[in-house]
Amino acid sequence: MHDVSTARTRVYRHPLPVRLTHWMAALALGVLAMSGMQIFNAHPALYASDASTFDHPLMRFGADLAPDGEMVGYVTIGSLRMNTTGVFGYGPDGMGGQAERAFPSWLTIPAYQDLADGRRWHIFFAWVLVICAAVYAVWALRLRPTRRDLRELPQALRTHLIPWRVPQTAELNPLQKLTYFAVVFVVAPVVVISGLALSPAMDAHFHWLPQMFGGRQFARIWHFAGMIALMAFFAVHVLMVTTTGLVNNLRSMLSGWFVVRKGGHVS
Amino acid sequence: MRFGRRPFLGLVAASSLSGCARIATSLTENSHVRALLDAPERLDLALLGAGQPLAQEYRKSDVSPVFRHNGFDPPSSAQYQNWVEDGWRGFTLRVDGLVERPASYDMTALRKKFIRRSQITRHDCVEGWSVIGKWSGVLVADLMADAGIKPLAGYVVFHCMDDDGEGTQYYESLSVRQALHPQALLAYELNDRPVPPQNGAPLRLKVPTQLGYKSAKHVNHIELVATLGGRLGRGGYWEDRNYEWYAGI
Repeated sequence: MHDVSTARTRVYRHPLPVRLTHWMAALALGVLAMSGMQIFNAHPALYASDASTFDHPLMRFGADLAPDGEMVGYVTIGSLRMNTTGVFGYGPDGMGGQAERAFPSWLTIPAYQDLADGRRWHIFFAWVLVICAAVYAVWALRLRPTRRDLRELPQALRTHLIPWRVPQTAELNPLQKLTYFAVVFVVAPVVVISGLALSPAMDAHFHWLPQMFGGRQFARIWHFAGMIALMAFFAVHVLMVTTTGLVNNLRSMLSGWFVVRKGGHVS
Repeated sequence: MRFGRRPFLGLVAASSLSGCARIATSLTENSHVRALLDAPERLDLALLGAGQPLAQEYRKSDVSPVFRHNGFDPPSSAQYQNWVEDGWRGFTLRVDGLVERPASYDMTALRKKFIRRSQITRHDCVEGWSVIGKWSGVLVADLMADAGIKPLAGYVVFHCMDDDGEGTQYYESLSVRQALHPQALLAYELNDRPVPPQNGAPLRLKVPTQLGYKSAKHVNHIELVATLGGRLGRGGYWEDRNYEWYAGI
């Protein structure tokens, strides 16, 4: 027998504004990624330049009719070509059939192909994300990695090799701080600013805006790559949340209260 | 407890994605949701439409080898074909509505009466691609000065000669303020040659500060009106299909 009150400590980890903006931003990011893929479907090619070099895309999604009469979906990156039938290039159209479309209906908002509706969702939630991120950023300034965090980083990296053995501490660990800081102050700004660089009116106001990304079409690459980076973060984030005490983690982001056990491990 | 966790999570991920797509799709049909989703357009217009900044102009060497166009056919009428073959003899541009001096101009009058303006600007299609081209023609502002804008006029409507193949005519509109932008051009030349049919012959509006769909092709009638709505719908063919009237984003 041991005394529960000394074995478990409750800490108030996330204040209300953080919890609110966390969930709003999560919703916004999801809608933005999916409506962004809807928009991408209208012209599924990326060019490393200002104007489009239609014959030389960096990346392109497409579909071809194979000699056997079947449709083949593909993705090309440079001279590399991958067969992606059923998912990318040729897949579900959201109306029960198959169609030539870069991203399948289950990845886009709306499910059916409609650029105008996709843009409405995207631009609305872009505002939601920017407002949430601005509020969140004020709090996230505290995540600025200190010299001590950087010193402890190798140790933190080692402990993360086995996700479910990561010690649960009252304070965020150095790797968490660094990751959240990078997402809020590096990746998210790149995604937002490269998105703004796609706007012809923004570009008229600020000629340097598309130029800093290598041109308007290049800004699309940054925007796309930033989305991939955010999705990668999301995947790892969900993995860590799930394996390091799902209930405890979810509770802390809902009520603010996080339980730390003596010895640091969550069994 | 651990049994089947990974396949289970995969299933949850895939079905929740498709669930999200389905929920959002059905929400899109709801008129209240639509009104909410449309709301940022006014904010964007207020923020970005406040000034009259100039779109970046490019060098001759930046011009794209081919000025891409969407797969719509040029007007199919016999009249249009005759004009194409006949060098636009007999074609006139009409300017009327809320103007002091309604007028018609043939192509020669447009070239002789007004100062020829050129711009090498980037055309950003709503689909995502961009092309750079040199456009030459008459400033919409110069046309407006010649016709005289009446005080009540709020919008400049550009009527096109082509339809979508199902009988709906293309049209576009700008606010008077947007129409007076120093780069709003009614172009008769693309890359120093008469505008080709697929790019909007004989006259194409060019508004480089907004997306390509605002740059109406095959314009033969400019009408000044007090407000949009009614016969003029939401102010354009694409606007009537839920695209933003303010296409600055």
